[in-house]
Amino acid sequence: MASEDRGHAVIVARARHASRSLLRNFARSIAIFLPVFFVATFATFLLRALSGLNPARIQLGQAASPTEINRLEASYGLNRGFFAQYGSWLNGVLHGDLGRSWSDGYPVSTLIRDGLTISLTVATLALILGVVLGFALGALAAVRRTTWIDRGITSFLSVISVIPAFVIGIVLVEVVAVELKLLPSAGFIPFSQGLWPWLSHLLLPALALSFGCMSSVARQLRAGLIGAYRENYVIGAVVRGLSPRRIFFRHVLRNGIGPALAVLGLEFPALIGGSVIVETIFALAGFGQFAYTSAQTGDVPAVQGVLVISIVLVVTFNLIVNLALGRIAPAARRGV
Amino acid sequence: MIRRVLSRPAGRIAVAILSVIVLLAIFGSALAPSSPLATTSAQLGHISGSHWLGTDYLGRDTLSRLLAGSRASIVGAIEVALIAFFIGAVPGIACVYLGRVFEWLTLRLVDTLISLPFLLVAVAVTALLGNGMTVALLVVGVLLAPSFYRVSRAATLSVARSQYVEAAQLSGASLTWIVRSHVLSKVLPPISVTLASTVGTGFVVVSSLSFLGIGVQPPAPTWGGLLSSDLNYLSYQPWAPVAPALLIIATVWAANLLADAIRDVSGDAGRAYVSARVKRPRQPVLSRGGE
Repeated sequence: MASEDRGHAVIVARARHASRSLLRNFARSIAIFLPVFFVATFATFLLRALSGLNPARIQLGQAASPTEINRLEASYGLNRGFFAQYGSWLNGVLHGDLGRSWSDGYPVSTLIRDGLTISLTVATLALILGVVLGFALGALAAVRRTTWIDRGITSFLSVISVIPAFVIGIVLVEVVAVELKLLPSAGFIPFSQGLWPWLSHLLLPALALSFGCMSSVARQLRAGLIGAYRENYVIGAVVRGLSPRRIFFRHVLRNGIGPALAVLGLEFPALIGGSVIVETIFALAGFGQFAYTSAQTGDVPAVQGVLVISIVLVVTFNLIVNLALGRIAPAARRGV
Repeated sequence: MIRRVLSRPAGRIAVAILSVIVLLAIFGSALAPSSPLATTSAQLGHISGSHWLGTDYLGRDTLSRLLAGSRASIVGAIEVALIAFFIGAVPGIACVYLGRVFEWLTLRLVDTLISLPFLLVAVAVTALLGNGMTVALLVVGVLLAPSFYRVSRAATLSVARSQYVEAAQLSGASLTWIVRSHVLSKVLPPISVTLASTVGTGFVVVSSLSFLGIGVQPPAPTWGGLLSSDLNYLSYQPWAPVAPALLIIATVWAANLLADAIRDVSGDAGRAYVSARVKRPRQPVLSRGGE
């Protein structure tokens, strides 16, 4: 009875400790990312003042009368002081209102939503492809280190890592879509029209986007695992006669995975940013395309909305990565 | 240090490729067999004696456009790296000496810059601010500055607390003298590594922007712009993207190779680029020298 009680107490204490460290991690991550959010939104808002654009130029053209321009500017609240504008804009952003587009007056958040679904699907697919392929390649290279498999994978990765996404995209279109005719080269089909048509249009863009993520995950994982293999506890495990599989999963992977996870947090902005390129190549009406076209027309609120959304995405993703890192590889979080 | 970089095969290959490309950038327009803007009736022509790489959709000679476009692509990358160097390295060194407030502020700015989706911001900001090349280079330079900031800050921190700097301070050396004679020599190797790799990154970004038609005015050729027009005619000229793509890949690869070579010869100092957030993995002993 007594030992059962003690076991129970240990479990409770462990749970309490775990939740407390989780909370502490969370608080620390928030403390890092709050300033980031405010600095970034302020810089985004400065864009309007720097660009000197206004809705009248887009909607009314060059030949507009001053009274019309004034009326339109007042309807967008542009006749107030800079900080008053920033205050109400930030207030709106915190309530999920990103303002109205300068070109047609629609709420920016509705305009972004459709494109965001496409882009996030592509980015998630790319992340999955990059992580799965990167982990497989990195782990294989580390397990077979110093053999020709390792050398092959390492040189493949160093070539892959220097090819820009748009070159990879063009090569994929060329080889897979134009020559082999395996997958469509452009366009988007909603999920409601079937799994394969939907997936087949997204696979190539996701693959083009995933290469950067894949190569850095694989390189970091290989380096981390090889470092872990050189530790004394691995020699100890070998001496104790543990199976190579157990050594890999229990001892090496857990200790060597940190850098690979941490680099994911750095790669995610690249995935979001790369959507501009990939969506141009594969003619997807996504988030990046929306940013590109609105920036070209001078629609400042739309661009601000895109930037705010992408910053929120990046910050959230980094929070998740940091929390996962704290759980899986506490040692790798030192210095965060 | 230059001689030691050149003594390594990787360094020699990198320098050879980069010097060919720099020569292309300098003499490219002069070497071009015909004007990069002159249109002919031979549209989307095949590889032939008069057009070694064929012609594009307006009948312009592709080889000439490739050669003439090299300058914009290369010079852009170098300018971006230099801008990033000045914006990043100076506050990186200064923040160690200018007190906690300045350090905290710059660190938050760097955190912010790193968490921005790079290309998206470059595209959006450049297009909003008038689509010019100067704006594009400045924006990309600012976005690339954090790596210089981190590298120089880490190196300065490591030297600022070393015993010989303390000894210099005790013997009455001025701050500027310490920075000039001790800090700079410690900071320069990691910074030159970053400079080489930033030229590579900057090149990718500038080509990506010109691929999207940002930062360059349409008739002027760039490597990225060539690829984007090839994309529309892939079914007619499937081989067209090969030359610009290979040139872009070779340039970035050579820049990274040079960065690795400098890092290898500068020993420990070259690896002072421990970022503030990510714990760097240990360099595997086995891959040293082989790469």
